[in-house]
Amino acid sequence: MENDELISRLKPIVGMYAQDKLALESLNLQTDFIKDLKINSANLVDVVLDVEEEFDIEIDNESMEKMLNVQASLEIIKVKIKEK
Amino acid sequence: MIGNDLVDLQQARRDSNWMRRGFLSKLFSELEQLYIMLASEPFEMVWLLWSMKEAAYKVYNRDSGLREYAPARLNCKLISISPTAYLGQVRINGCTYHTKSQIFTGNYVHSVASTSSFNLDGIKVSLYPLASNIDYKAMKPACVSHHGRYLALIF
Repeated sequence: MENDELISRLKPIVGMYAQDKLALESLNLQTDFIKDLKINSANLVDVVLDVEEEFDIEIDNESMEKMLNVQASLEIIKVKIKEK
Repeated sequence: MIGNDLVDLQQARRDSNWMRRGFLSKLFSELEQLYIMLASEPFEMVWLLWSMKEAAYKVYNRDSGLREYAPARLNCKLISISPTAYLGQVRINGCTYHTKSQIFTGNYVHSVASTSSFNLDGIKVSLYPLASNIDYKAMKPACVSHHGRYLALIF
């Protein structure tokens, strides 16, 4: 799966929890979930759970620790899809 | 070094569904999940443990400079429970932080964390409504936490 497609499926998920909607509009690889989108840290786990459902993958805790921005999330999603 | 964390319980109820499948197992250890299951108010226990982790993480993060999302690796232990406070410990990567938490049912949960158990009682907490336009940076707090309707400063 290409980055563009992954991002188009990731964006509505993070959009559910993003408090900075302007940062959401300009979402790119460098966008940080907490610093830019102002996602509440307690909601990061919801992003991870929603990503698991959307892509039908399982994200272990070690991978979850790195899911703080778009780039890292895409890499983890790609790895987990390959492992399926 | 000290840190704090406040959870507005009304905001948490709106923003998170702690009973969602996978929520507890991704955030909490088996012991912590046991505390939650055995609590008379599981919802409050979820956010009490969460605020302990966040308060300890703020101190750990300042010490180590590491940034990661590893709530399950911050291991909470409750040492004593009294009507006025929950005393506990949070461990991560060989570091231990001592915590003191309070639950104000229906309103908020607040935790403070320190590298030493001795100065926990000396920590002064100031609570403000978030809407108030106070210049809190000028007050030079040791740590700041804001959530929902509240702003909590510690000194």
